[in-house]
Amino acid sequence: MAFPREIYQALEDIVGKRNISENIGICETYRSIPSQSSAHYGPSEHWTPLPQAVVLPGSTEEVQNVIRICNKYGIEFKASTTFWATMGYIGSDFAIQIDTRRMKSVKIDAKNMCAVVEPFAIAATVQAEVMKYGLNINIPGVGCSSSTLANFSSWIAFGPNSISMGQGSENVLGMEWVLPNGEVLRTGSLGAGEGWFCGEGPGPSLRGILRGIFGAAGSLGVCTKMAVRLHPWPGPADFPTYGTVPAYKADFGPNFKCYTLCFPTWEAWARSVQYFHESDVAYSGHRQFNMFGRNLKGAMLNIITDADKQLSDLEELVNDPYIQKENEKMKLDYQVIIAGFSERDMEYKEKAIDYILEQTGGWKSEMMLEKDKHDYALLYLTRLGHKNLNFVMCGAYEGTFGLSSNVWKTIQVVEEAVALKRKWEVEHDSIAATGGDSAMGSLSGIGGGGATGWEFFTNFDAYDKNSVHGTAKFVDGNQEFHNKYSFGPDFCRWNSDVRHMNGYNYTQEEHNQMFANAPQPWVYAYQYKIREAINPKNLCGTYFRTVDPKCLEK
Amino acid sequence: MESMKQNLVGIVGAANVFDSPEVLASYSKDESFATPMKPLFVVKPENAEQVQALVRFANETKTPLVPVSSGAPHFKGDTVPSVPQSVIVDLSGMNKIISINRQQRMAIIEPGVTYGQLQEALAKEGMTLSTSLRPRANKSVLTSVLEIEPRLNCLHQFNYTEPLRCTEVTFGDGNQIYTGEAGNGPKDLQKQWDLGKWQVHSNGPAMTDMLRMITQAQGSMGIVTWASVKCELLPTIRKMYLAPAKKSTDLEDFVYKAIWARIGDKLYVMNKAYLASLMGETAEEIAELKKVMPNWVAAFGLSGDILLPELKVSAQEHDIMEYAKQTGVQLLSKVPGVSAEAVLEKSINPSGEPYWKLTAKGSCQDIFFITTLDKTSKFIEAMYALAIEAGYPTEDIGVYIQPQHMGTSVHLEFSLPYNSADSKEAKKVKELYISASKEMSKLGGYYARPYDIWTTIQLNKDAQSYILLKRMKDIFDPNNIMNTGKLTLK
Repeated sequence: MAFPREIYQALEDIVGKRNISENIGICETYRSIPSQSSAHYGPSEHWTPLPQAVVLPGSTEEVQNVIRICNKYGIEFKASTTFWATMGYIGSDFAIQIDTRRMKSVKIDAKNMCAVVEPFAIAATVQAEVMKYGLNINIPGVGCSSSTLANFSSWIAFGPNSISMGQGSENVLGMEWVLPNGEVLRTGSLGAGEGWFCGEGPGPSLRGILRGIFGAAGSLGVCTKMAVRLHPWPGPADFPTYGTVPAYKADFGPNFKCYTLCFPTWEAWARSVQYFHESDVAYSGHRQFNMFGRNLKGAMLNIITDADKQLSDLEELVNDPYIQKENEKMKLDYQVIIAGFSERDMEYKEKAIDYILEQTGGWKSEMMLEKDKHDYALLYLTRLGHKNLNFVMCGAYEGTFGLSSNVWKTIQVVEEAVALKRKWEVEHDSIAATGGDSAMGSLSGIGGGGATGWEFFTNFDAYDKNSVHGTAKFVDGNQEFHNKYSFGPDFCRWNSDVRHMNGYNYTQEEHNQMFANAPQPWVYAYQYKIREAINPKNLCGTYFRTVDPKCLEK
Repeated sequence: MESMKQNLVGIVGAANVFDSPEVLASYSKDESFATPMKPLFVVKPENAEQVQALVRFANETKTPLVPVSSGAPHFKGDTVPSVPQSVIVDLSGMNKIISINRQQRMAIIEPGVTYGQLQEALAKEGMTLSTSLRPRANKSVLTSVLEIEPRLNCLHQFNYTEPLRCTEVTFGDGNQIYTGEAGNGPKDLQKQWDLGKWQVHSNGPAMTDMLRMITQAQGSMGIVTWASVKCELLPTIRKMYLAPAKKSTDLEDFVYKAIWARIGDKLYVMNKAYLASLMGETAEEIAELKKVMPNWVAAFGLSGDILLPELKVSAQEHDIMEYAKQTGVQLLSKVPGVSAEAVLEKSINPSGEPYWKLTAKGSCQDIFFITTLDKTSKFIEAMYALAIEAGYPTEDIGVYIQPQHMGTSVHLEFSLPYNSADSKEAKKVKELYISASKEMSKLGGYYARPYDIWTTIQLNKDAQSYILLKRMKDIFDPNNIMNTGKLTLK
């Protein structure tokens, strides 16, 4: 359908000529592989639909006016800003892409430990700005180049720091949000103009509409400003980095340590994690470098921390006896950062770690205490700025399995998952053979501990059809494992119920069939009613899972 | 009416339906200035099925239901019917601790479980639950966490709703769901436990956070029949300190520093009237304490549990002393009139009878809202000025500042003790309550929990939120049977 001139003109009148385009070359760049998951470049042979136009509003008022035009003409719209995830892209042909990159301010209230951010304030920027005030921010696993606002409003948003800072939802304070019908809602204390400090209430918290376990993924309008809670940073006001890119490192001084803790059994591993969940010792906790796989992580760590080494050195390094020995020692591992607020605090935290290791029979990886590796890991986990490494092995990856549960449940089944992946690695050439166990993720997906957030990195070649199809089959097989242990959908299937594999939205009838038999179908019926209340024309795609209540009343 | 009684008897049994004048009278008012209104019946369900049946019956008959879980006295008007012909749903008899799991640090409780009951059971497992300040002995833990009463330990309040996690709720439309992680099924706690799921994660279960529809809701969206709460380890070492000050502002830098450094497991500020009221066993004792206590006190507590507790407390003690020095306050084990240890004991344990806020004068009216620490002095000054204008003795005004949500905001509470038997005094306090409530709002105080007249004050300032709240109410309670008249503009 040709995009009517009057609509284009109306949008141009709002944002100005420079901030709208229907140029095919521009619009093509606003398409994504409709990967099954939200945040990975998964197996696919399709692209999301081509937008009719791309619009770049520069203020809340402009967003509101754009949405009003969409309502007037029944145009689907989707806002995104850093475009990591497919959820940020449109799902129908008569649709426009809203790109909020012109809105990027960061305002800091250092005393009350919060910052008001706009959509294109990426985590790296927010972090750099708040560190000047001795503060830090939870940067979720997606990395520091992603929008803080998008992560906290629209997805789960846990990462290495979540054990001490909480995940996205826990850090949301006041929020300004243009609803799909064009109304502006300011949540909590902001609604009455009293400030950004509280995002809850008055009475029941309307922010609950926008995000539950994960967010509405852009399907309930556009969040234009958000106050996020900040956390203490007892380190330097800037990043004292050194080294040669990409193997750059940071030394934060004596009050920071990054340890790779290793354990003889999963049971010991879990007992140690429970200590961290039950104490305030860990500043960060992540099973990070296992993303390269159990068999390869030692060698890969030697490549990524040395600017002179490259992937072609992998075979030689894997066969290096020292690395083999160190690799074997860190088979069941994770990384922990401790941050001392004083010399004594640091001393306590050091001894606490020694105590935990003593109680659980664990040890510190010596290789990871070598200065270049230590400083690399410290920077990596603090900033999460090395996302290129997700793609370095084969050009693409998927997060599979997704053992996001309490550690005691996870460890009972993890080796079975490892064996499943290893079998596929050995018997097929579609995914990289990294050693089966490539489980990585947060030591705690919620503040203060209680649940892990894990995925198995599965590396494949997105330009090789066999690899793409083989990976998809591997994931299909994993679902049986997930069903057996009630883990829900495989991590990279989490969003398969909100967008067709061809990139297009589902119909309501299709969603009715999917969710009418969910464990609690009324949850989806309530979501239907909520959508009807604030998005009556259903203009933001089908990521907001719903079932028509009439289907349940039958 | 007789037919309604028969229906109610059919649901909860004859022994659990009450309509004697004495019983109805006891539920018709509370300690607040809310207009008294007698309910039609009081029913005491024994399980979630009965609750759901009651809600369905109420939908059929358009009967207003008022859920109540704590014992009297109530203070905020939220349990007093706002409309005639209401039925009180008293959940205090549902008082089972459904489970305690040390490994997951989770407990699941019914609405009638009290702090004393729960803390005793948790202590046997080496755990405790963060508490609001000296709750009533018969205070429902579930109501306390659902209504987001401020906790003494803001630094572990990762989520605003902490320590509340999952719930079973019957919404006003009669549908019953599990919220949070529990909502992903199966809808049977035992089956979830068998699968290793312990109702830990509060968000969800899907894209709408159902928990946030029922928190701070005064029972106006549905009735919760169990909740899971995150517990803390029971400290093996505790140290408590008091930092005296002439002015509240003298303590601000210290409080900010402690929050920033994430030290301690207790942190709150009180003026001497509030502290004396907390500590005094009699009116006379309170009056004497007020004469000797410092104007303001910050209470600060350290604790250690299983992980090198002595070393932790020793390190943190050293650090907090250094921070105190840097911010110009002294941390003491006692101040005139009271020891730090005694403050801790009073703070964390349930009140005796009468409830401690009633000891001074027999009645008490609170005004509380949310703001930031650096703005508290503005409100305090305004409150004193209004009290002088109203002829209320400023020395009687209790002030309590409780940092919350990891310190990003504070609960600021003014407590106005008075003698309700003295009609002139009661009138004066009522007028002060109304005028001060409005003034605090004008100054930027945020009534996140908008009880009584605060509903109108707050929601009148925020039309968009009110419109959306009404839409949500229409979804979850389409026949407007849940605590009808609450959270509504009059």
